[in-house]
Amino acid sequence: MENTSQVPVTVLTGFLGAGKTTLLNRILTEQHGRKYAVIVNEFGEQGIDNDLVVDADEEVFEMNNGCICCTVRGDLIRILSGLMKRADKLDAIIVETTGLADPAPVAQTFFVDQDVADRTKLDAIVTVADAVHLSSQLVDHHEAEEQIAFADVILLNKVELVEDNDIVKVNDRIRKINPFAKIIKTTRCDAPLDEIVGLNAFSLDRVLDIEPDFLESDHDHEHDDDVTSLSFVSDTPLDMDKFQDWFGNLLRTKGQDILRSKGILNFKGEEERYVFQGVHMLMDASPMGPWPKGKDRSSRVVFIGRDLDNMNLKEGFDNCKSA
Amino acid sequence: MNADLETLQESNKTELERRGSIFNIGAPATEAVTIRDQIAVGFGDGTVRFFQSGSDPKTVKAHKGVVLSMTNYEDHVLTGGEDGRFLKISSDGNIDEIFNFGSKWVDCVASHKDTKVCSSGKTVYIWTKNKDKPQTLEHQSTVAGLAFDNKGKRLAVSRYGGVTVWKLNNNKWTASNFTWKGSHGTVTFSPDTKYIVTAMQENQIHGWRINDKADLAMRGYPSKIKSFTWVGDTPYLVTSGSSDAVCWPFDGKEGPMGRKPIVVANGGKELATFVKALNGEKAVFTGFTDGSVLLAEIDESKKPIMIRSSTGSEVSTIAISSDNSQILIGDMKGSILLSSLWADN
Repeated sequence: MENTSQVPVTVLTGFLGAGKTTLLNRILTEQHGRKYAVIVNEFGEQGIDNDLVVDADEEVFEMNNGCICCTVRGDLIRILSGLMKRADKLDAIIVETTGLADPAPVAQTFFVDQDVADRTKLDAIVTVADAVHLSSQLVDHHEAEEQIAFADVILLNKVELVEDNDIVKVNDRIRKINPFAKIIKTTRCDAPLDEIVGLNAFSLDRVLDIEPDFLESDHDHEHDDDVTSLSFVSDTPLDMDKFQDWFGNLLRTKGQDILRSKGILNFKGEEERYVFQGVHMLMDASPMGPWPKGKDRSSRVVFIGRDLDNMNLKEGFDNCKSA
Repeated sequence: MNADLETLQESNKTELERRGSIFNIGAPATEAVTIRDQIAVGFGDGTVRFFQSGSDPKTVKAHKGVVLSMTNYEDHVLTGGEDGRFLKISSDGNIDEIFNFGSKWVDCVASHKDTKVCSSGKTVYIWTKNKDKPQTLEHQSTVAGLAFDNKGKRLAVSRYGGVTVWKLNNNKWTASNFTWKGSHGTVTFSPDTKYIVTAMQENQIHGWRINDKADLAMRGYPSKIKSFTWVGDTPYLVTSGSSDAVCWPFDGKEGPMGRKPIVVANGGKELATFVKALNGEKAVFTGFTDGSVLLAEIDESKKPIMIRSSTGSEVSTIAISSDNSQILIGDMKGSILLSSLWADN
């Protein structure tokens, strides 16, 4: 599956005013010796004028295959296939989405469209959050929650304007929604670019980096609409058939509410670790080499989504344990 | 070791490769059109090069970034680029900028006689003779394909959710919508103008009979259809996207409805990426993902002829000179084969 000629694509989300344009201007103007193209939205913030910028329309298309999760960004398919015809090879492509856009169709485009998947790969979803306003945005806009939930990296920006104990509060709030994203606290998005671009966060072997610490507890939450995460660990090996039945059915029936899922699995009778990660009902899975010697062979799964409590996830996962 | 390899490659060359010329441009060939005895090719480095048998190609630095779309227009070519420019270019290198859309791409171009058309975003712009200002046609989503019928009276515009067919009456364009869920790309009228057909974002093509808007869904492809061409008097719509050239018959009242396509030019493990009719014959050139090209009659009992051997890069364009004497084949690595089609040429 790994293809070195695939150009990595970073998806940049965040509300208007959080600092996306500051970050894009840095990416376009800093002397980093790399060639990036930036796809911006026509309704986005003003102030970027550069040959490497492409205007997009953020057109979300439903495929006609009847799968409700197969909404893709049609404009992205068109623009990425155009960019792939360039004579000079790009080191990376950055796609900016508007504040009110759901990041799922962008991510799904890389799963659904074969031409896009052949030539580019989703590198990471990076969300710029405004440390001053994030808490109130999370209350008022479900898009803000989704942007936090989908993220691999969260730039908690404008921290210089917030008291230390308030930063701790915002940090905890983010962690409730998304336990595995890397949070970088910044002033004017001043994080090193190599912590934002070229992360390979969607490569399956990066799932192995899931920190077990985050996987211990069930989080309490306020109402069913909230995006939360749930995680489970098992030291008993899992039954592969039972797991596939349960998980396949779960994604088929509840995939709309499960925003992201990741896991490392220990199947009975299998020497190799199995790794998966999904966006809604689309999933990528593969064996990922033998278990490291001297380490516990424990299965770990994490779900981020809405209404997770009504999916009987714990019961379903426990039923997959081999007898 | 090297010498051995070269000898091997030499012996694997096809007849057309032996007598033709090969040019390595180094940027993907994106489009090719024929203007009289020349073939103009657009590339991913923004150049348009005019190829002619017996001489080196003439290079015109047209766009900054990819040449996205191209068509012929009188003795010129019209091109649309990633740099937002819509250009008219002559083979001696004169560039006339028709319009500059800035950071918006010019995705599609079309022409009929003295009418020049392009699309950028959701809008189609039409320049008619002696008028500086274009007429504009608006659509609900980005335009992904443009095609005139053979009289230039109707213009098909493909987009998300179907095709808008615009009809010209007394200098006014009126719209008729053909609806089918999904995203529609390249569009074409059948030669008798009874059907319109689109290549979809899914692995299928979709057609409509124009008079009653009856739908035709042609499915079962393992990959996207990037290219189609009308072949012969039947005619057949020959499509890429499969390991063969898939040929749908469009004769009779019902066209391909309820009928099976003819499949020719089997590429084995390779998928067809570009198809081009041989003018006046019931035969088609089919280019594949590995760069090879086969010439096949639309007859399953006949064996195809190998025209170009594998280059390791998918065939992205094929053009035939207007007198049927020369063929040009281009691929995504920018390798161009220009060769005479007939041995005594």
